[in-house]
Amino acid sequence: MGEVRRAVSQFIGLIQCGLGGVASVFAYLVYASPSIRDALSVTPNEVYLYMFLLLVFGMFSILSGLLLIREEDSWD
Amino acid sequence: MEEKSLKRELGLLQATMMGMGGAISAGVFVTLGYAATLAGTVLIIAMILCGIINLFSMLSYAELGAAIPSAGGEYTFAKASFGGFLSFATGWFEWISNMFYASLSAVGFAYLISYIIPTINVPLTAVVTVAIFTLINIKGVKETGLTQTILVIILLALLGIFISWGVLTSQGVGTLEIKAPEGFLGVLRASAFIFVIYLGGEAIAVAQAEIKDPGKTIPRAILLSTLALIFIYATIAYVVFKIVPSKTLAGQASPLAYVAEQFMGPLGVGIITIAGIIAALSSVNTSIMAHSRVSYALARDGYFPKNFFNLGERFQTPFIAIFVGSVFTAAFAATGVVNFVAYAADFGFIIGFVFVNLSLIKLRRDKPDLHRPFRVPLYPLTPILGIIASLFLIIFLEPSTLLIGIGLFIFSLIAYCIRMVGHYRFCLAFGGMNFGISAFSAIIAYLIISNTLPIALSEVTRLLFFGVAVFVSITYFIAGLLDIIRKRDEK
Repeated sequence: MGEVRRAVSQFIGLIQCGLGGVASVFAYLVYASPSIRDALSVTPNEVYLYMFLLLVFGMFSILSGLLLIREEDSWD
Repeated sequence: MEEKSLKRELGLLQATMMGMGGAISAGVFVTLGYAATLAGTVLIIAMILCGIINLFSMLSYAELGAAIPSAGGEYTFAKASFGGFLSFATGWFEWISNMFYASLSAVGFAYLISYIIPTINVPLTAVVTVAIFTLINIKGVKETGLTQTILVIILLALLGIFISWGVLTSQGVGTLEIKAPEGFLGVLRASAFIFVIYLGGEAIAVAQAEIKDPGKTIPRAILLSTLALIFIYATIAYVVFKIVPSKTLAGQASPLAYVAEQFMGPLGVGIITIAGIIAALSSVNTSIMAHSRVSYALARDGYFPKNFFNLGERFQTPFIAIFVGSVFTAAFAATGVVNFVAYAADFGFIIGFVFVNLSLIKLRRDKPDLHRPFRVPLYPLTPILGIIASLFLIIFLEPSTLLIGIGLFIFSLIAYCIRMVGHYRFCLAFGGMNFGISAFSAIIAYLIISNTLPIALSEVTRLLFFGVAVFVSITYFIAGLLDIIRKRDEK
């Protein structure tokens, strides 16, 4: 059971890290790409807010993912 | 507190060059134009005033650096005076700021090279530059100091040619009549804008564990570099206004190169461009050394992974701290997001100034018997003025800088919690946040599919976003479950 849980934990951790990375890249795209901003109807005043939210989400996801990947030993 | 293993190999000359090289970056080559349009010829006085304001904080660095000559600079001072989260946050800001500053300088260098060789790839050049200076820093502090000394001496020689030629020439259509086009407020805004050219000189304090005879050398190096910077910047501004009217500087990409061209011809442009390139390189070198010593000190006190505290057997340098920080630096440089990086670096350095001045006041109260080879004159006026000036600068920074600063502060809080809070409780907290994100994503998914989200999206985009929201919701729900069902492993 422990092995299954460990595998699931690592899998979910990897997905969270990936989502965090994607969110960070998306934050950069919102900053750098006018077409992305147009598609999402982001006004210039809101750019930094979106970037901030995406970066916080991205950082949290990466940390949470790393926690699941790295700390599995503590279950046993 | 003494770093037994780091080698004390930097003398007064290398330490002074470290401070000057850290401060004279590409900034002075580009900021003068806009500042001149705000403050006119009063900019010369504003530059001297900024230098004096900088001196208030540098005096605090000198006293604390001589009294506590351990690696880490601002972080070490905050640790000795406040400890806990405040010291960690100071170290965190300094670590990140120096990485940002190194990447900013590397990108600046690559842009300057691209003026000479237009076909080069700017991000790649910036990354290669970071890699080269990373190797130099790993090789040894002696090599780092020697490289820095050579670079800054060449830089000073080039700036010396510009200044002396400009002072002696009879050419020039500028005026030195005291005039501020946008009044006193314009002068204040210009002062806040150009203050960044003094930032970076505190690198001496970060490398203080490797400076010989720290009690004497650190204060001397800090004061020498600070006073030399005031003289150099003020005379550069003098030459600029002597040669051209302040209005003509508006919109110039490289105001110094433009001025040099007016009285030196193409040779002047070449001299200033090479000077800019060298300034950027010396800033990269100093910043890599600075960020590695801060993370080394953070690891020494258990805030960062222990590996950062390892010294290479052969070169006696914190090679892991240098390498990891440089990987981040190269990544920032590769993105080329210069504005973001510049704002973040400024904010971090200014916060560092505030904490150093606060540390000085606290240590004077708490540890009056601490051996202080150098004492700040006019205490407590000097550090208080340093704090006020730093807060004034924060007020005048771009609003986005504050937002970035708040973001960095939140990251520092998270990082601190990771190290200090018990692992099981920390996992529970993360589990709760994962559930929160899961619920929030589920609501977003519902709003998207019911078409009640106040954003006009195409059908394909709507379905894509719905799928992503559902996926995030499920993933974070499972992550939350995994976090809260793990066994308690309290140490």
